[in-house]
Amino acid sequence: MVRVQLVCSPQRLQCPAAEPPEAEKRHMETLLKNVSSTAELLAVSARSGALEQWDGHALSRAFHWARYGEHLFRRFHSDPAVRTAMEKQLQLTNQSLRAALPGYTDVSFCDLSRCQHLLLVGLLNNPELPVSIMRILFGSGSPADTEHSEYVDVTGLCSHIIQCKSACKVLSPLADSSAVGADAEVQGAMLMERLGALMGRGREARRAEHFLDSLLQGCDGASEHFCLVIAAALLTAKNSAAEGAAQDVLQDWLQKTPGVLKLTCSALSASLLAGLAKEHRKFREAYCGVLKTWASDMEYSVHEGEWVQTSTKTCMVTFQKLTEHFLALFEKCPPQRDDVERELNALKLSDGDFDVRGLSVWGDLLSALNT
Amino acid sequence: MTEEPSPNVQEIQFWLDKMVAWGRADSPNIQRDVSLHLRRLSSYLQQLLTHINNLISTTETMKRMPLLGQFLGRLCWIPYVTADGDATNPLHNVLFPQKVLCQLTTDEDDAAAQALMKPMGVPPNEYHLKVLRKVFSFYSCWCSCDSILAASEACVPLATCPEAAPLIDALLQRPATCVRAALSEDFLDALSCAYSRQNLSLEEQAVFSLWHHSLSSLEVAVLSLLESVCTNTGSTPQRMLQQVSQSLLCNYILCTSTVSFVTYTAAGQKNPSDPTKLVTCSAECCYLLPSSRGHHRVFEAWFLLVQCAHWVQVTVQLLGTKGPEDCGPLLWLLTFYHHPTNRGHHRALQLVRLETERPMREGSRVKRVIWPEFHLSVSRLSASSHNPGRLHRPLSNYDLTFNSHRVCLCSSFVNLLIY
Repeated sequence: MVRVQLVCSPQRLQCPAAEPPEAEKRHMETLLKNVSSTAELLAVSARSGALEQWDGHALSRAFHWARYGEHLFRRFHSDPAVRTAMEKQLQLTNQSLRAALPGYTDVSFCDLSRCQHLLLVGLLNNPELPVSIMRILFGSGSPADTEHSEYVDVTGLCSHIIQCKSACKVLSPLADSSAVGADAEVQGAMLMERLGALMGRGREARRAEHFLDSLLQGCDGASEHFCLVIAAALLTAKNSAAEGAAQDVLQDWLQKTPGVLKLTCSALSASLLAGLAKEHRKFREAYCGVLKTWASDMEYSVHEGEWVQTSTKTCMVTFQKLTEHFLALFEKCPPQRDDVERELNALKLSDGDFDVRGLSVWGDLLSALNT
Repeated sequence: MTEEPSPNVQEIQFWLDKMVAWGRADSPNIQRDVSLHLRRLSSYLQQLLTHINNLISTTETMKRMPLLGQFLGRLCWIPYVTADGDATNPLHNVLFPQKVLCQLTTDEDDAAAQALMKPMGVPPNEYHLKVLRKVFSFYSCWCSCDSILAASEACVPLATCPEAAPLIDALLQRPATCVRAALSEDFLDALSCAYSRQNLSLEEQAVFSLWHHSLSSLEVAVLSLLESVCTNTGSTPQRMLQQVSQSLLCNYILCTSTVSFVTYTAAGQKNPSDPTKLVTCSAECCYLLPSSRGHHRVFEAWFLLVQCAHWVQVTVQLLGTKGPEDCGPLLWLLTFYHHPTNRGHHRALQLVRLETERPMREGSRVKRVIWPEFHLSVSRLSASSHNPGRLHRPLSNYDLTFNSHRVCLCSSFVNLLIY
């Protein structure tokens, strides 16, 4: 039977580096023990009949522990040594909980970041949840902001969550002054923060790139949305050199990773892409490159009387759309026009410099851009 | 417990039809319809709740009102309705099964967003709060007048949402520069209701603005205060007076009616023993006018001042005797008299220029005939703002029409302006 001691609160964290080695070791042991207890708490709240005994105080203490779990994540997610130790501890805890509770789902270190949410999911899905606890969670009154106090007031927590989610749904569609939308802007800002934290003071790109790879993998069918978030991230104002460095790393990753750049260019609107090109030279060059690649992929179809893409890959672009992309780019970055036209002219020359439609995609593109 | 009449079947059918319509599409028309009906829906839900609490079990309730289950089942999934916490929160514990409540609280519609937020360590609740704050930050950047109405309508269900408070504050305190930038009546109504139930968390100035915008909200506030004072049985008259005087309502009334009171008093006193005190007091009250007044209030105060234009003459005379530190309110009164609406926000500039230009006293004697010259300066200043014609029009319309004995005074003004 899994029991969780909810009597005492987790000890206050101290800075490990400032302590002598013995104390540091003990401190680490306490941290790992607390990580274990947090995982056990989540298991108990989801599965146990012991919930019947819970009153308002027990509920409050449970959320206090969950908050502590989130604090551990925030504190140590970019500290590789401590993080690894915690991940190992969680593996052990998961093993024993799996043996004790049928249908148990593992808790990962990442899950600690949303401990309160997981606690809530566990409680609300537990058929043994007492009505008195429900009354507290769905009661009237907003929960007080108790960031720095021992006592966590969760009265009306769930009602507040429902209201907040509904307000988001009602208002987001109306906030049309954003190029990418409020949600993408928030996600983009979070991405920038995370990349900055991963890069650390040494501006190490590797960890940030691995993180982006894992995000792309995790997207699984929502890759276009990920592209929108990348655009939003690149459009966030650069408030510091660190943010500038993170945006650089993001652009480099975009170019190196097969398919993502092309997907970004075909999924997003011409005006949004032009906006990105305006802010970032690297992206501008990469973007022009993609447009030229699309053009060179095209063949003239006599049947349709138009240039069409030859490859049957995922990114479908029409000649019309290609033209729109160039025009939007020129509108936002006027100096680009001369450079691009010079290149197109050179390519047209290499094709034989004909002025007849259908012979050179470069010639026809130039004509379309200048009508 | 008295037996409440059970909510009738037609009414449930009406609301069920509404839920079907509202759940179907997301469009500004739907939002408009929701804003129009939200108050009625709220009181209907309250009625339902009272009735159900009087019954023994929910199964009995469902038997008596078979459409109720359908109605509630649809209602909880309509964000326009559930955004109004006041109306729908009380239903949670009583009418919805645990499974539904669990889904409402923990389900995340936007899988794509969660696929990114989870590895980034951002919990769902924190994410939603950030999005909400981001959306509110967009609204406060809006400049177009047409957006104000739409924004206020969107905020109808959010009167009691604490995160919406800064947006609601901004909407209420926005200076009334354009007729089209009106706030939705349903919005003001919702705020007024929330205030009377003490569910509103707004700044003092925002509450004042609410009362400025909506007379009915002021009425509701007065009635609420009276009710709370009178139902406080066992309270001495002294305590009741204290309760009233400490209320926000009292501050508001003092603030807005002092000007009217003083100028009314001034109008009634033909030959007061001490004109300076009355004028200085009136000037100070005008000076302290809150910035978020509606146009009609401004003109009311100005019109009253015009009724006693001789006090403006005294103001000018006083200016000759006062030191620079006491001039502020008097100068303000003068510019207000000439340019009440302060369109183009030139008043601050005018005050600064008037400071430097006001005629100083010669030696120890006050220059008695400073009236026409100084007014020339003031009128020149006012004429140099965007629309000089705006000045003499109110003067000629109001003053000429209602104060025939002031015609001679007014015509000299008009003559000054029409070079």
